[in-house]
Amino acid sequence: MPQAAALVRMSRIGKRYGGVQACRDVDFTLGAGEVHALLGENGAGKSTLMKILSGDVTGYAGQIEINGSPVSFSGPTDAQAAGIAMIHQELDLVPGLPVADNIFLGRELRTRLRTVDRRRMEREARALLERSGVDLDPRRPVGELRIGEQQLVTIAKAISLDARVLIMDEPTSALTTSEVERLFVVIRELRRGGVGIVYISHRMEEIAQVADRASVLRNGQNVASFDPRTLSTAEVVEAMVGRPVQTMFTTPDAATGDELLRVENLALTPRRPRPGRRDPAGISLTVRAGEIVGLAGLLGSGRTELLETLYGVAPGGTRSGRIVLQGQQIQPRGPRHALRHGIGFVPEDRRTSGLVLFHSILANTVVSSLPAYGRLGVIARRMERSASVRMADRLRLKFGRLQDEVGTLSGGNQQKVVFGRMLLTEPHLLLLDEPTRGVDVGAKAEIYRLLGELAGQGIGVLLASSELPELVGVCDRVVVLRDGRDVASFSTADSAEGDLLAAAMGESAVFEDAGGAQ
Amino acid sequence: MTDVQDKAVSAPTAVAEKSGGVVATLFRFQSVFGLLAVFIAAIIFSPRRDGEILFVSADNLANVVRAVSEIGIIAVGMTFVILIGGIDLSVGAVLGLAAVGSAVLMVESDWGFLPSVVLVLAIGLVFGALQGMATAMIGIQSFIVTLAGLQIARGLARIWSDGQGVAIAYGNGPNEAPNSFAILGERTFGGLVPIPVLIFAVVAIAAVVFLRVSAFSRHLYAVGGNEKAARLSGVPVIRVKIAVFAICGLLAALAGIVHAVQLNQGSPNDGIGYELDAIAAVVIGGTSLAGGRGSVAGTVAGALLLGVLNNILALNNIESNIQLLIKGLVIVAAAALQRLRPAS
Repeated sequence: MPQAAALVRMSRIGKRYGGVQACRDVDFTLGAGEVHALLGENGAGKSTLMKILSGDVTGYAGQIEINGSPVSFSGPTDAQAAGIAMIHQELDLVPGLPVADNIFLGRELRTRLRTVDRRRMEREARALLERSGVDLDPRRPVGELRIGEQQLVTIAKAISLDARVLIMDEPTSALTTSEVERLFVVIRELRRGGVGIVYISHRMEEIAQVADRASVLRNGQNVASFDPRTLSTAEVVEAMVGRPVQTMFTTPDAATGDELLRVENLALTPRRPRPGRRDPAGISLTVRAGEIVGLAGLLGSGRTELLETLYGVAPGGTRSGRIVLQGQQIQPRGPRHALRHGIGFVPEDRRTSGLVLFHSILANTVVSSLPAYGRLGVIARRMERSASVRMADRLRLKFGRLQDEVGTLSGGNQQKVVFGRMLLTEPHLLLLDEPTRGVDVGAKAEIYRLLGELAGQGIGVLLASSELPELVGVCDRVVVLRDGRDVASFSTADSAEGDLLAAAMGESAVFEDAGGAQ
Repeated sequence: MTDVQDKAVSAPTAVAEKSGGVVATLFRFQSVFGLLAVFIAAIIFSPRRDGEILFVSADNLANVVRAVSEIGIIAVGMTFVILIGGIDLSVGAVLGLAAVGSAVLMVESDWGFLPSVVLVLAIGLVFGALQGMATAMIGIQSFIVTLAGLQIARGLARIWSDGQGVAIAYGNGPNEAPNSFAILGERTFGGLVPIPVLIFAVVAIAAVVFLRVSAFSRHLYAVGGNEKAARLSGVPVIRVKIAVFAICGLLAALAGIVHAVQLNQGSPNDGIGYELDAIAAVVIGGTSLAGGRGSVAGTVAGALLLGVLNNILALNNIESNIQLLIKGLVIVAAAALQRLRPAS
């Protein structure tokens, strides 16, 4: 396919955040009319590289050339002026405004009297949406749309910028198959018009369908470049993972105890549909005392939703199947109920769901176990202090004083506070959602050590993670979810990261019968 | 990535804390220092008679505190509500309802002192709890719920009193309130402290102690700080919210009783606009309207500051319209100071 003069040439790009080298000497080129797929695990540097290109990240090493002339962006506006548009993974739309207003946000069309020309905006928005193959009324508020439809709106918005370079970060993560097909038609049309497209995705079959070239990043470096049409999933996965499982993982203790949790055919039909969520649609699994069971799966496979259902914070609706905890069937009703039954939960985003950032370390640590420190609703300060200190020691928390705001701690130490809070409730079963996201390597290793220690004490752990090395390194067993179902289960003793990734991506050649088994 | 951002966010805070120990302390107790400043200004600008500074005369100071005791009692309850990130606009109307209730029960229905007071307090408690349920269980914003509650309480007060003020006379006969009720309005306790002030002081001290030692208060701050995190941590969010609105309603009713006894009547128009003065006292006291941060001590200082301000302006015969302007500016200044507070 077209490999004309490089539209974008990024040379020896480097970016360092504190102690983390996000990108190191990365080269990346994009031709006009080319679709260049960018692959890599979470944290491999894909997003950083693209944010540098789109002007979101500044202060990098190396050089960027557009059409042969060097450029230096001081912000996204500069990049946009140079014809670069990025479709972010997080949708940047205003929910209360109609589709048309969102598309033209900040560059509203005006009448001669300088008032907003609503009719023209709606007309043009409709044309744009049609061009993108979307059947949507431009007058509908964006908040009413499914996440997939919102994704299509952001794509239409990006197209409306008439960009020469379009960066798409996992554009299909919430789209249906037919929407993906239509998106590909649009991509091909743009390509014919000479637009260069960077396509970030984890889905191998999409890349084979739509990309002209695929590059793999790992640990912030280029590691491989492929022709995606002649490529096997196995090769790509090897390039992405590409390293022996690190020694930072504590080898799990194989000796596990009795069955702690059994989930049978769990399904949830919420009363109101939840756009963008994947509620359990038939999941069975078990966790034994002292066992660490991983939950693998792509974005939207339903890992978080499963944990939320078990913790009783899923929305109301019809639940079928059984949840059996220590031989007793339970109906999780909410966090208090779950905690009373010995189920603890560490949510995915500690900043929004885990901590009160401007409250003290002490207050954040003891909030789940308060009645234990005192009598008749009066807190014995010495007791809660000593509990907090004990937990800080156990977790090797790095902090100044217990009165310091928890928001002043590093990400890893913040996460330890959330862990400590749950441990103070003395749980039998811990539900962990991405417990090491945004945590530095040192704290990661300590969290892994802690998990091993907890398992040694007979606590069962259900660990949802999108980091395959973590799943393979930490867990005894990994259950792979896809579309709200469990599609495969591996013992980590005899499986490689590649198997997991392939099962999660739905590559049937690598993992036969996985989908059919359920 | 997230970790990196964490560091970027926290670094300036750390610096601010290290370099600004004194500044941080100043900000932390800004309402107390504010009160002190206004107090000193009041002494300076106080009119004098025979060399005596009128403002600091025992009688005048007692009046200052007495004048703020009703707003102060309400503001303590309001602090609880604002700490959980809510607002209660109904307190002035509940005060009116309670004032009418005390008068009608004791004068027209010939109830005794204790049953009347208990029933009126219970009405405030239940009224607040119902508002708490509406906001916590149905999920309506407390602004809306209590705006509706304001209308309802005002309406109930008018119905109960036939739209008339009910005068309170004391004695043992029919249509007279028991003398024990009058004691609440007694000028002084031990010859010095007016009883309403004593009630305000007891409420404030109880609230301060409660917020320091109770497990409930930890839950309350957590709900205001991050409701989602609090819920996931097993905090009984709904119960906390209902309890807080119930406390606020109870204290508004208590203020209503004090109001009735001070004016010797209960009128359905009592307490109009008091909710705004209470909110002002809370805000001046440094409690964040976003919830999760603040203190009753600050609120007490805020209420006193407003009282001193009103008093000194009145002593200098400054027109009441000008007083309003000055009060408004003080509120804005207090809020602006909060914005300047070192990031936390």
